[in-house]
Amino acid sequence: MKYTAKRRLGNLGRGLILLIFMLLVILPIYWMIISSLKTNAEIINAQQVTYYPHQMTGENYTQLFKLYNYRQMLTNSLIVSISTGLCITLLSIFGGYGLARYSFRGKDTMLLFFLVTQMIPGILVIIPLYVIFSKLGLINTRLSLFFFYLIVNLPFCVITMRSFFERIPYTLEEAAYVDGCSKMTSLVRIILPVMFPGIVAVFVFAFIGAWNELIAGTIFINTSNLWTVPVGLKSLIGKYDVKWGVLMAGGVGALIPTAFMFAFMQKFVVEGLTAGAVKE
Amino acid sequence: MLILVLYLLGVALLCALGIWFIGRHSRHSRHGRFSHGKNPVRTHGTTSRRKNRPRLGVQRKSEPYLFLLPTLLLLLLMFGYPLINSFIMAFQNYKLTAPGKIYFNGLDNFRKLFGESDIWLIIRNSFIYVLISVLGQFLLGMTLALALNKKFKLRGLYQAIVFLPWSLSAFVIGLMHRWSFNGEYGVINDMLIKLSLISEKIAWLGTPGFSLAVVIMAMIWMGIPFFAIMILASLQSIPISIYEASHIDGCGPLRRFFQITIPYIKPTVIVTILLRTIWIFNSFDLIVVITNGGPANYSQTLPSYMYTKAFSSYDFGLASALGVLLMAVLVVYVTVFLKTTRYNKAGNF
Repeated sequence: MKYTAKRRLGNLGRGLILLIFMLLVILPIYWMIISSLKTNAEIINAQQVTYYPHQMTGENYTQLFKLYNYRQMLTNSLIVSISTGLCITLLSIFGGYGLARYSFRGKDTMLLFFLVTQMIPGILVIIPLYVIFSKLGLINTRLSLFFFYLIVNLPFCVITMRSFFERIPYTLEEAAYVDGCSKMTSLVRIILPVMFPGIVAVFVFAFIGAWNELIAGTIFINTSNLWTVPVGLKSLIGKYDVKWGVLMAGGVGALIPTAFMFAFMQKFVVEGLTAGAVKE
Repeated sequence: MLILVLYLLGVALLCALGIWFIGRHSRHSRHGRFSHGKNPVRTHGTTSRRKNRPRLGVQRKSEPYLFLLPTLLLLLLMFGYPLINSFIMAFQNYKLTAPGKIYFNGLDNFRKLFGESDIWLIIRNSFIYVLISVLGQFLLGMTLALALNKKFKLRGLYQAIVFLPWSLSAFVIGLMHRWSFNGEYGVINDMLIKLSLISEKIAWLGTPGFSLAVVIMAMIWMGIPFFAIMILASLQSIPISIYEASHIDGCGPLRRFFQITIPYIKPTVIVTILLRTIWIFNSFDLIVVITNGGPANYSQTLPSYMYTKAFSSYDFGLASALGVLLMAVLVVYVTVFLKTTRYNKAGNF
């Protein structure tokens, strides 16, 4: 009797904690979404803060597309993120395979090098890259962002891919060799289909990394028709006048693709995250 | 420019050497391998098997390098070269506004840097920001992970919601917090007044101390999922039989937690904390979005200050000097990291 009562209390406490964490996540997002649906007059009303839109409106969203060229921002972000994602996926398949299936001289150094690149502050690389890119005429092109996002996300993705490869038994490959497959064929026809979820997870990592980045975008791009979503929206934060309604609408638009990707791929992303960062 | 040319030559030379080396070792196998690749079905049979087998040993030596070559090349070119470059710029008078007047000026940049009145404030901010963010993320992440470490209905859905901040951009998160903590129209002030915890609206982002606190809160919000994911994964790797055995031996829940759970997850926790510390230290987009370092540098950290210095005054020399300072911190940190985690010995991460 005493035992079950104790257990019930424990469950209650656990439920309470879970509820608090959920509210902690949902409330700020809720606030963002309802702010984007309010009229400007309702948003900038210092006397009364409303907790749901008294006057629902889509004007912030129409303004975003009509006045601030949100479509172009979305297109730019998509172009950069998808190309980065695809390129990283391809490179990390090769790199991850090389690291998972071979032991070779310099492997430990290589892994250490990958780890160290993850610890270097981005801004330290951005400043000299700015000089280099401007010499090469890459400033103000989407290519500069592509290159930067590529190198920033690549090491982590290679390592993650490596642990996905390591989970596939080598005997599978051996069987393919015995049947007369070459390295490449067995990789493409046997192994990649098996680890398809891992590949998608790596693509999601790279995509989200590129989609969410702000700082390099503000530095490498300064023409408005090449702005990615965060960079374009940041330009709406003026010194004296901040268009909150439009900004919130833009923020909602920016979080939808990554949130959906994450929600659907949650299991594999979580697996990849733990595999890539720590390995016991 | 000369450095660039030299560097490129060096990289090209290394690559050429590598390719030559690989070519020498796998010359005989090349032809066979690629023709197999095109048409795997036909190579089925005893001859190909016999051909493949003895080659494998030779191929093994060069193949991993081939697989990793593109990645390594990209990283060396775009990480290695810029870092060398920024090291050199730190000792130069390098202003983008005066491109004709670039010359070495010794330690002038460093002197200028430490002559600035705000530098110690910024160093102090960086420490506070990193320390409290890591601590907050860890404690809350651990709580969440422990709460999640038991099956319940709809756990998958719950995780999808609670881990969501991981997938959001610092920009969007910054925006949310900036808007919620707005002094005039913000919801936080309104709630606090309604709960009568404060009597007047607080200008959160315009008050020294508070502005950094808001940034830290946003950072903690953003990082809880990562800690929770890591700790949950390691909690789930603890074999149940150990808990069962302890139960039979009459071990209470508190003792179980401290003597079984904690020792088991300790390695993961240490690695996660160390990785996160450096990541938090480096990331400053939240600061740029929420406060832009204000008021008067009270929420500025070293990397964000470097960004501001570089792209408001275009004094790349001074910014690079700050960068060298960061590199020094980094080197110390990496050494400590390797010592505590023995990463290099395991060769794994």
